[in-house]
Amino acid sequence: MTEVPKIVYDRLRAASPERAHPDADLLTAFAEQALSGVERDGVLQHLALCGDCREVVALALPAADMVSAPIAAGTEAVRAAKIPSKAERNWLTSGTFAWPSLRWAALAAGVTVVAAVLLLRPGKLNQAMPPSLSPQVATSVPPFSGTQIASSQIATSPIAPSPTDQSASSAKSAEPLPKSNLQSSKKLRAEPGATRSLPAEHAILLAENKGHSSQSDNLSPAAAPAFDSAAPASREATEALDVAGATVGAAEAAPTAAGSLMARNDAPAIEKAKPAPPEMEVNELRKTEAAAGSRLAKVQGNNVMSTARLASTAGPALARNITWTITAGALQRSLDRGQNWQDVLRADHPLLCYANHDYDVWTGGQAGTLFHSVDGGATWARVQPSSQGRQLSSDITHIAVHSATEIVVSAGDNEIWSTADGGQTWEKK
Amino acid sequence: MSTQEMPRSAQSNQGADAVALYERSGAAAYGVSAEQFAAILDEVFRKCLSQGPAPASIEQKTDFCAALRLEELALARACAAGNERAWQDFISRYRQKLHSMALHITRDSAHAAELADSLFADLYGVNAREGVRSSKLVSYTGRGSLEGWLRTVMAQEFINRYRKQKRTVSLEEQTEEGVQFAAAVPEPAATSDQRLEAAIDEALAELPAEDRFTLASYYLDRRTLAEIARSLGLHESSVSRRLDRLATGLRKRILAGLRMRGMSHAQATEALETDVRDLRVNLRSRLTQDSVAKTFPESKVQARDAGDGKQ
Repeated sequence: MTEVPKIVYDRLRAASPERAHPDADLLTAFAEQALSGVERDGVLQHLALCGDCREVVALALPAADMVSAPIAAGTEAVRAAKIPSKAERNWLTSGTFAWPSLRWAALAAGVTVVAAVLLLRPGKLNQAMPPSLSPQVATSVPPFSGTQIASSQIATSPIAPSPTDQSASSAKSAEPLPKSNLQSSKKLRAEPGATRSLPAEHAILLAENKGHSSQSDNLSPAAAPAFDSAAPASREATEALDVAGATVGAAEAAPTAAGSLMARNDAPAIEKAKPAPPEMEVNELRKTEAAAGSRLAKVQGNNVMSTARLASTAGPALARNITWTITAGALQRSLDRGQNWQDVLRADHPLLCYANHDYDVWTGGQAGTLFHSVDGGATWARVQPSSQGRQLSSDITHIAVHSATEIVVSAGDNEIWSTADGGQTWEKK
Repeated sequence: MSTQEMPRSAQSNQGADAVALYERSGAAAYGVSAEQFAAILDEVFRKCLSQGPAPASIEQKTDFCAALRLEELALARACAAGNERAWQDFISRYRQKLHSMALHITRDSAHAAELADSLFADLYGVNAREGVRSSKLVSYTGRGSLEGWLRTVMAQEFINRYRKQKRTVSLEEQTEEGVQFAAAVPEPAATSDQRLEAAIDEALAELPAEDRFTLASYYLDRRTLAEIARSLGLHESSVSRRLDRLATGLRKRILAGLRMRGMSHAQATEALETDVRDLRVNLRSRLTQDSVAKTFPESKVQARDAGDGKQ
């Protein structure tokens, strides 16, 4: 950064504002970008000269650690959705092929390969295997598709070796997961056998990761996003495993029970969860787990706990646990009934309201800003209601979600917009 | 309730619009009547829209209302009026947040608890005047989020307290804190060279307010790029680019100003350069973290001496 001569500091500092300090209202509105041109200029004029008020504004900014990765992913999606031409570039450079998500795509691919091998050669894998198994397998088996070849080769070295390594990287790299997870599962639709096992294994891996990270630093901010982004993954896991009410019940008990006690109590829960439809695959997965590390047995307590919690993220039981709020123009989400909040979406205009129906979340804001998420806030799509050549451009002040497809949006100027097909077509009243 | 004093102006906001706003705010749940709410809105209008000579037009009011946090406004004013249900809602929504805000601002759990509690008392209006509680929430107008407002009020309170406390702390602590809150301590202007000062003042005065804010925040207050970006609603990289552009442009303008005041190019450059070198040394010593408070004034004195010597 270019430096400025020091004497300039003195002159900057020597300045003192002529007018009275703006009140808290104005400063707040300024910091939240809610002021119009003239007023904003007035406040800026004062701030340029008044160190005290600058400090107030700076202190009053929301804590930086509240704004974590999901919001970045959200904004990325926002931009991508907004400008189609730029969207593809953005998506390509920062989404799909960026290193962090590549790593997960790679992990997913590697995992698929392993799962496939296990499926093909179940007999040989009953005995315990050394942790170095997965790289060998990954390279020895012909991969499924071009992308996967590329990624699995990149993948095997940094990720596959042992659960310890995974845990080390889990806290950070878990964040971009939802995207890559979706991608990989999309990629894999072509291979029915492997596809179903992938999300399940993924979820379990994730549970392991979570187990490790929560071990070292329970409820730390880093662990929270990891847990957070597990939601979509575990959702797919639910589809694959068809986890029944039993697990959800256990899961609900999880947050309240003490750790060690729970580990024992919940051990049957995992057993219950497993005899689900793709039984063979699940059995294979268990073998992988056993093979992947004898260490797993030690962390079983944690593991079970996180699996249970994960399961709780999976069902509608979780959707009820997610609480939402709008703060400073950003949509925030809490997974622990309001103890910790996390920004999930910040659009280019301040958001004003939201409504949700399980995982279906709608949020609206100034200047017709409307976003929709179908996965509990992990990814967002911009929605632009228009009817008979007219677009909704006034401030959205209220949203009512009557069902997954029936949405009613109230906007400024007494406009009411409604859709009966989840936002495809709109009608203005 | 403070808002009942102005029933006269309530009629300017009547009609279907007022009903819709009242419904949107959910004020009824907190026992605020439509008339009371209209009066609150009117008070807000007069406070925020009356800067111009002409009274605000209907369109202006409509636009303004659309951006207002009606629900939060209703909650805040109902709390100020002492509605029990509003208080329960307020506490369940913000009590936890107030404490984490205080911790964020003070970075010290003991002070945080004190700050949060005193703000809570202010919000509740413990200081009763003539039997009427006066809650700080009365001054909230719904222009920003209630949470943001709470943070700002808390930050203001913190700065005020810090000012009060500073007078009683020891000299050593004072200089230390003076460095941390550099902006808070107005220092006597340097008496080095009138021409240099005038040239700098001129260059600074030409800057748009936002640029000057950015400069002061970064160089004077030592805010991070991320913080500046968030307070201006920009991307970090734009702030970084702007700062680079500003620093270069400012330098050019100061040099031009010095030449206009009769310095040769070499003299002008030197006058500025001396300070820059000095600053780098100063920065380095800051980074090494020992006796920050001492090196700062000393080097400043040297710089001024050096500057005087050159001319």
